[in-house]
Amino acid sequence: MGGKRSIIILLGVAILFAFLPFGLPRFYTYLTALIVVTGLLSTSLNFALGFGGIFQFHHAVFYGAGAYGAAVMIAKLNYNPWLAFIAGPLVAAALSLIIGIICIRLSKLYFGMLQISLGSLVWVIVYRWYSFTGGDDGIHGISVPSIISSSKGAYYFTMVTAGLAMFFMYRILHSPFGSTLQGIRDNVLRSQAIGVSVRRHQLAAIVIAGFFAGVAGVLFVVVDNSVFPDMMFWTLSLEITIMALLGGWFTFLGPMLGAAMVVLLRTFVSAYTEYWTLALGILLMLVILFLPEGVLGKVFEIWNRRGLTEDRG
Amino acid sequence: MSFMEAFCSPGVLCQILLGLSRTVILFIVASGLSLILGVLRIPNIAHGSLYMIGAFMAYTVSRVFGGGTLGYWMAVLLAPLGVALVSFIIERGIFSRLYEREHIMLFLLTFSFVLVFGDLVKLVWGAEYRSVSMPGFFQGSIRILGLPFPIYNFILLLVGPIVAVVLWLLVNKTKIGKISRAAAVDREMVGAVGINVSLVFCIVFVIGCFLAGLGGALVSPIVNVVLGMDHTLIMEAFLIVIIGGLGNIWGALLGALIFGLTQSLGILVWPQFGIVFPYAAVIVVLSIRPTGLLRSTW
Amino acid sequence: MKKAAIMGMSIVLLGFLGVPFSFGAATIKVGFVDTYSGPPSVYTFDVLDGFKMAIQTINEKGGVLGKKIEFTTRDEKFKPDVGLAMAKELVMKEEVDILAGTINSSATLAVSDFAKREKIPFICTFAKSEKITGEMGHRYVFSVAENTRMIGKATAQMIAKKPYTKFWVAGEDYEYGHAVGEASWRYTKAVKPEAQLLGQTWWKVGEADLAPYISPILQAKPDMLFMGTGGVGNLNFLKLAKAMDLMKQVGIILHTSIELSNLQALGQDGPEGVMGTVNYLFYYPGTPENKAFVDEFRKLYNRPPKVGALYGYAAAQLIARAYQKAGAVDREKFITAMEGLTVDSPVGKLEMRACDHQLMLPMFFGVTKKSPQYEYLIAGDTVTIPGKDYLPTCDEILKVRK
Repeated sequence: MGGKRSIIILLGVAILFAFLPFGLPRFYTYLTALIVVTGLLSTSLNFALGFGGIFQFHHAVFYGAGAYGAAVMIAKLNYNPWLAFIAGPLVAAALSLIIGIICIRLSKLYFGMLQISLGSLVWVIVYRWYSFTGGDDGIHGISVPSIISSSKGAYYFTMVTAGLAMFFMYRILHSPFGSTLQGIRDNVLRSQAIGVSVRRHQLAAIVIAGFFAGVAGVLFVVVDNSVFPDMMFWTLSLEITIMALLGGWFTFLGPMLGAAMVVLLRTFVSAYTEYWTLALGILLMLVILFLPEGVLGKVFEIWNRRGLTEDRG
Repeated sequence: MSFMEAFCSPGVLCQILLGLSRTVILFIVASGLSLILGVLRIPNIAHGSLYMIGAFMAYTVSRVFGGGTLGYWMAVLLAPLGVALVSFIIERGIFSRLYEREHIMLFLLTFSFVLVFGDLVKLVWGAEYRSVSMPGFFQGSIRILGLPFPIYNFILLLVGPIVAVVLWLLVNKTKIGKISRAAAVDREMVGAVGINVSLVFCIVFVIGCFLAGLGGALVSPIVNVVLGMDHTLIMEAFLIVIIGGLGNIWGALLGALIFGLTQSLGILVWPQFGIVFPYAAVIVVLSIRPTGLLRSTW
Repeated sequence: MKKAAIMGMSIVLLGFLGVPFSFGAATIKVGFVDTYSGPPSVYTFDVLDGFKMAIQTINEKGGVLGKKIEFTTRDEKFKPDVGLAMAKELVMKEEVDILAGTINSSATLAVSDFAKREKIPFICTFAKSEKITGEMGHRYVFSVAENTRMIGKATAQMIAKKPYTKFWVAGEDYEYGHAVGEASWRYTKAVKPEAQLLGQTWWKVGEADLAPYISPILQAKPDMLFMGTGGVGNLNFLKLAKAMDLMKQVGIILHTSIELSNLQALGQDGPEGVMGTVNYLFYYPGTPENKAFVDEFRKLYNRPPKVGALYGYAAAQLIARAYQKAGAVDREKFITAMEGLTVDSPVGKLEMRACDHQLMLPMFFGVTKKSPQYEYLIAGDTVTIPGKDYLPTCDEILKVRK
């Protein structure tokens, strides 16, 4: 039924992406890779926010931690890049564990605010530690292994890694853990009543989300060969939340779609005007006012109503 | 210089006073944020943008009146009113329709205003550096224990308590103040006794934004009036409100004091990481009292 | 979930189709990536205007090798990451022949690294970090702006004559700030062994509230302050210097303090008595070529030229002459032609040194003072230092590039 069709479509998509660098100019290869990295980041945010119901208000910190972790290891400490690529997400996961443990005893809004405070502390330290992190300048020209340093190489590495990451997140969400997590999101008291350790599940969700944000950070280093403090700034955290919202945060692929929309909007609109932020702001306003489930969510709602989903056959 | 040397030197007094003058601006902006947060329950991230608009409007007003003394005073008077007008428009036009929505949506809506205002300011004023000149007798510096202390910072030290007193009177002694305090605690009840809650919200929102504009206008002669001045300020203002206690104006004062003083003393002790100290202080406060130092209205 | 895939792909494809292509015509395309928003734009617009003025004349005479020179710009917003992204777009999408820019040293280094890998010529038109043509220099990068090594050497030459021995370095915590502050100290120490560095203070880029940083420095009582600020940081500091009357308490030298962009922004409120260096002053020297340049610029743009105009103008002349000499729009031939090339400029003949691809500009030293003629301060007690007298030697450069 749906299963076989899904696989064929996925295969089609995979083939399309595999041949994209050969069909389009190099700029689009770079752009696609960037979209996928951003989409992965937004999906990891949504893992905690949309599926876990956790007020993950400063997710960008983990993205930056993964990126800076890898960047500093390669550029300042001269480690083997492959080691650095593995270390990056681990740094991000460790940071999310620490921040998670500190914040978890608070609920909802206070959790979010403490996370913003801790995240801002990490940001400001990175921002001022000029000798170690490059401070305001960031670190540029980070050398990556030559197989993946070309546009095509970076592209394929990104697609494969992101694809795996998305796959793992998907599997986790559709596992018993994932169901419990969503149950906690919907009703904390009931979950507690049936004996679920709410805090442990939420902490695990935060660490998983942070880990994959770190993966996105490392991929950014591969694609762009640079890191900069804005990767950890609160505006980025909100931007990726917007992407999740735009695309539909109760769906798995919504954030990826939202990321594509925002990055393309930025590239497309910037070619004509310098006021693309205005365009994004207005778009966000319209979505909040008229389309709070996001684009994908709205589409599903329409399809559901018209009986076009698999369940109705 | 070493920690002890730095701490016992005559420069400490100067440093403390400089920190306090920064506190004044932070307090004025954060009190407005706290007011809106407490009564309307809106985490208004666009507050920083209104601060920035206040500074830019101060520049324009000052230019219109020929700069110098007259220009400055007209700017400090009219720019906050201009910001209040802008806030009135967006409150009536958009926010008032959405009070029933979830917090996170309102939060994101205010962020959309950050994006929109950022570009609107660029559209109206361009991307260049702007400077507001101050009256002649505010320029220069006085000597405090042998070190020069800018006169304008000193003026800010006088303005701070005045604003605090006026706010206190407004909140505690006026009818609107009492109604808004009641609405902060229980808006349904206030509505039930026949008070137009929507009007109260509008007034409180406008006053809060007026304060943001005032902060921007007051600070315009001594900082860079540029795009992006909203981004760091709003983060600081938010942290101040969080450690002070959500919706508590005196908490905002306390938070601003902590922020301003830890930063200036931090610079004395460790200039490189001077601006890290306030953030560390925030973590310390929140670890001890997660809901803020003073009672919050949430 | 499969519906999502289809939907997503459709939107993405539509988006791709929407992004406009641009086709190269029979022109030489120069891609400028620079900061065109915010405070630094006051410098960078002059670079463009100087460039435009030069290519207007060149194109009127038929262009170069029968092609007109045209340019396109991208705004990096003073952010290195945006600058790099824009450079990539200029090369991969716009397919420019040459890259030019930027005012941000870190962005310039990032773009330079990219240019090296892409093997495309890149002309630095404003950033001053010594690394650009020094440690990180390579075949594909050129600079028409002075670098911090040069500034340090020139500063040291002027300071050597003064009786100062106790120094303090202060400025903004970024590539240029550190480079200029530290180079000034390094070269001063080399000519004055008895000099002492009492301390260093670095604040975040763009910090406006500088009083808490300066107050403790005054406590330490240095003789002279080497400033490492740039862009708006210059203005923030100069404003404070005026408010606290720092010039009476400590000697101050700040590169570009005598430059028009800074002094014009400060107007009559500028501080007098601040020492500085710069590569261009529209009122000095009063040579015929400078006067002609100023008049032409004034006629076109209704304002006197700032130092950026010199960089832009020189860049245009170099590009035109180099392609002419190369005989073809070929990247490698262009680079070979650039090396050792001499062009005319308002400050005399300028040579693009072959060993490090650095333009040998003269340096002017002066002290700020009020002027009855202008609404802003100008440089007084001006001294000219010719390029060959203060540029670091080729040997020095080759040593650091190892």
